[in-house]
Amino acid sequence: MKVWVQIIILAFILNFCQCKKVIQVNLNDTAPQLVIIGEVTSNPGPYTVTLSGTVNFSADNVFPPVSGAFITIKDSTKGLTDTLTEVTAGHYTTHILSGIPGDAYLLTVEVSGKIYSALSVMPQPVSLDSVTFIENGAFGTNLINPVVNFQDPAGIPNYYEFTETVNSRPINNIFIFDDRLSDGKYIRQPLFNDSAYIQTGNELVIGMYGIDENVFNYFNELQNATGNGFQTLAPANPSTNISNGALGYFSAHTVDDREVIAY
Amino acid sequence: MLLKRIFYFLIFVSFPFLLSAQTKFTVSGTVRDKKTGESLIGANIIMQERSRTGGTTNSYGFYSLTAPSGDYKMIVSFSGYQPDTIQISLNKNIVLPVELSTQDIQLTEVEVTAQKKDDNISRPLMGVQKLTTKEIKNIPVLFGEKDVLKTMQLLPGIKSAGDGNSGFYVRGGAADQNLILLDEATVYNATHLLGFFSTFNSDAIKDITVYKGGMPAEYGGRLSSVVDIKMNDGNSKDFGLGGGIGLISSRLNAEGPIVKDEGSFSISARRTYADLFLKLSKDTNLNQNKLYFYDLNAKANYKIDDKNRVFLSGYFGRDVLGLGNNFGLDYGNATGTLRWNHVFSDRLFSNTSFIYSNYNYTITINSDSNNIKISSEIRDLVLKEDLQYFANADNKINFGFSIIHHTLSPGIVAASSNSSFNSQTLQNKYSFENAIYISHELTVPEKWKFNYGLRLTAFNVLGPGNFYSYDTAGNTTDTVNYSTGQIVKTYLNLEPRFSVSYQLNDVSSLKGSYTRNVQNLHLLSNSTSSDPTDLWIPSSNNVKPEIADQEALGYYRNFKDNQYEFSSEVYYKIMQNQIDYKNGAQLRANENVESQLLFGRGRAYGWELFIKKNSGKLTGWIGYTLSRTELKFNGINNGSYFPARQDETHDVSVVGIYQAGKKWTLSATWVYNTGNAVTFPSGKYEVNGEIIFYYTERNGYRMPAYHRLDLAATLQGKKTKKFESSWTFSVYNAYDRHNAYSITFQQDPNDAAKTQAVQYSLFGIIPSITYNFKF
Repeated sequence: MKVWVQIIILAFILNFCQCKKVIQVNLNDTAPQLVIIGEVTSNPGPYTVTLSGTVNFSADNVFPPVSGAFITIKDSTKGLTDTLTEVTAGHYTTHILSGIPGDAYLLTVEVSGKIYSALSVMPQPVSLDSVTFIENGAFGTNLINPVVNFQDPAGIPNYYEFTETVNSRPINNIFIFDDRLSDGKYIRQPLFNDSAYIQTGNELVIGMYGIDENVFNYFNELQNATGNGFQTLAPANPSTNISNGALGYFSAHTVDDREVIAY
Repeated sequence: MLLKRIFYFLIFVSFPFLLSAQTKFTVSGTVRDKKTGESLIGANIIMQERSRTGGTTNSYGFYSLTAPSGDYKMIVSFSGYQPDTIQISLNKNIVLPVELSTQDIQLTEVEVTAQKKDDNISRPLMGVQKLTTKEIKNIPVLFGEKDVLKTMQLLPGIKSAGDGNSGFYVRGGAADQNLILLDEATVYNATHLLGFFSTFNSDAIKDITVYKGGMPAEYGGRLSSVVDIKMNDGNSKDFGLGGGIGLISSRLNAEGPIVKDEGSFSISARRTYADLFLKLSKDTNLNQNKLYFYDLNAKANYKIDDKNRVFLSGYFGRDVLGLGNNFGLDYGNATGTLRWNHVFSDRLFSNTSFIYSNYNYTITINSDSNNIKISSEIRDLVLKEDLQYFANADNKINFGFSIIHHTLSPGIVAASSNSSFNSQTLQNKYSFENAIYISHELTVPEKWKFNYGLRLTAFNVLGPGNFYSYDTAGNTTDTVNYSTGQIVKTYLNLEPRFSVSYQLNDVSSLKGSYTRNVQNLHLLSNSTSSDPTDLWIPSSNNVKPEIADQEALGYYRNFKDNQYEFSSEVYYKIMQNQIDYKNGAQLRANENVESQLLFGRGRAYGWELFIKKNSGKLTGWIGYTLSRTELKFNGINNGSYFPARQDETHDVSVVGIYQAGKKWTLSATWVYNTGNAVTFPSGKYEVNGEIIFYYTERNGYRMPAYHRLDLAATLQGKKTKKFESSWTFSVYNAYDRHNAYSITFQQDPNDAAKTQAVQYSLFGIIPSITYNFKF
């Protein structure tokens, strides 16, 4: 709903918008920060943890991998610990672990003398019923957007993340949904997408993840900070489930993928 | 502490003044415009023989002067009117209505020395600015739509929230800390079309008074300012019809006597037609979009007898926005005020008001998958009693009370059964906001004037409903259910108000003030644009009243026989219980919205310079403000002070109006301010292929400086007794400055290896033309 209100305000403002230009802003430099992205999914492993660093705004989008870390993921429910191996610089993979809904996973990363940890519990799976399409003409051009259809289980909080690939190209939008206002409903949620125009006949892969509350909060705050094209009032770094000041997140989530042709 | 002592001392010493016994009589009455019968607010009345003492008319044009028996020359004056000198023999109480004629343009060039124009020097109140519709009519504005709120932002200490935003910040306060009153009724959202226009149709407005500090005790409820807007009463002599046709809106107003000289009415209506241009579009998506607002002001008054007069005034405005049939947003205010003026005696004036105020919005979403209607409302019912006792020429006592019942309905979600969302009704929030006040205006000849008072407010948080307690993480720790009318929490606050002026000599004075204000309704806003669906919440068991203490000092001087007035004011303000919210806060449709909040403090200080030329061919002013506003919250910026968004170091406004002959009036305004404090990224990283920005501190950066020149020319058509008309040509943003509306950061679409900053601007140069008529 918030998104809808913002869309109409944005549409209104764009009516008046006289110009848009790229400007130079002198931004402060900052010491590199550690970014940890880790996942355990309900699909078979191996699972990957990626370590990289931040760069200054003016630098190229080349993010230095962080090598030489000692990383473990422990299935706390089963008491099973997997030590990850660095396969390429900054990319670490598991060996024996498998993602099981309901299990709690503990990530521990030891690098440059500091220890970071994160806990994520894989929710029970919710299956994606179908993917349909709607045409949306709010901005004077007709946009095709996929709609995810699924039954939200009643009585428990559920958090969802969606991924979209168009003709093998991943769309880097954040698509999230929670059932705070929709508990137990049959959900038909369009995935609005501002960075790709979908054409009839495109091959799409839609992924539906069941994520835990902390990871949802992370993506929700990330989405707020990016502001849907608005200048956010006070953007901030999203609060993460990783301890000790690292950026990024660690998510144990279920996966349900669907391949569809846009119509 | 010192201020407190002075305060008690003054209460103590003032009683003898009230009790002095000598044969004294009172002259009282109402001051009106000779041609229209419109009451004149703030007209000066002095007795030449006792020139240091005098009075001004109150908001209903009523005055009362008491003096020892004798013969006096009474001089009545009002800006833009010819002063009137009336010989009176005060050997009994007299009721004396006064009518003043407007000055011709030529006459304004002649200095009328008898006129008491140095009111700005002698009155004790400071931080007060008054604008009349007459004064602002030649000042250029966006799309040529005269706008009192926009013009007000050209005064020092009052800052615009930026292009496309009628929000404003007074002395470092937030946009929700301004009490905006239209004929005493609170207007919760003073903007149309998401902030591009204010809700006030200048045809319907008589005058506007802004208190930036040192507000008298009869006002309360917001931290940083009071904007008191009075609607026209209507012409009680003749019928008249007027209007204007502009590029994006048209206006029509009618006024006339109900019974000649006994009562009058005034009705003004306005509608924009930006959407008619959309209709012209061949694009079926675009031409189904809706985008307009309309508003209606109506007022009537009737004199029952010499001692009683009733007023009924109302406002209704609505904005309608829609994207095809898929999405709709409509919102608006409705207010109604019924007032009864009663003159108990020559010296005791009473006004009783019943006020209704409502603000609501509805969002409708219709798509294949969702049919949802979301509505929210604020509703106030008010009973207010204000009494003014004109004890004698040196003493005036104001006292009264107000009882406000607030109903806040934060959200009703009505969703069809096939929607993805559940229907939901958030519990209504009920509260009583009650106040009693007394203040004393005291003149100690020859040098001192005081205005001091006390306001006691009681805010009762009322049931029914569940009231929650939260731990620091925002988890509910306790839920208590209260029944209807049960008091959940009461906040009692004493608000002292104190202002003093010391006349240094005939042309200059020093003033000081101390004011405490308390605010019990708070706006939670999470976007930079004015979002009509932002949430108002009342103080509660979790949210404490906001409190501000402001001290100010000023020096005032008039030059060249009051042709120029100059003022310099400094202020320091401390704000407690300021509200911010946690990262990623869920503010909408959330029963536990109070768990998402952070509480902190603020401080604001500044220096305001103002020089105004009141008469001559060229009139206008220059205002400059140097200021700082900072906030402090646990959990933001490591708990240290950071600049508030509205912290603009330098703020300049220049307004010039030039009377070029009888037909043409030329005007120009220029504004400059330091950019708002904003949060920009200091680094970046990658999450799942997307570039994410890394932030190091809140509001550590600045938007580019804002500046703009607006020009206008008004051509007065032939003026006959029956008909007059004028054309106004204006150019907004004359040198086409592309001021930053927003700056966002993104991946370079042309070079995946780079990121870039993109600046959006709203308005380039915008010419407009308006035709106004009156007959």
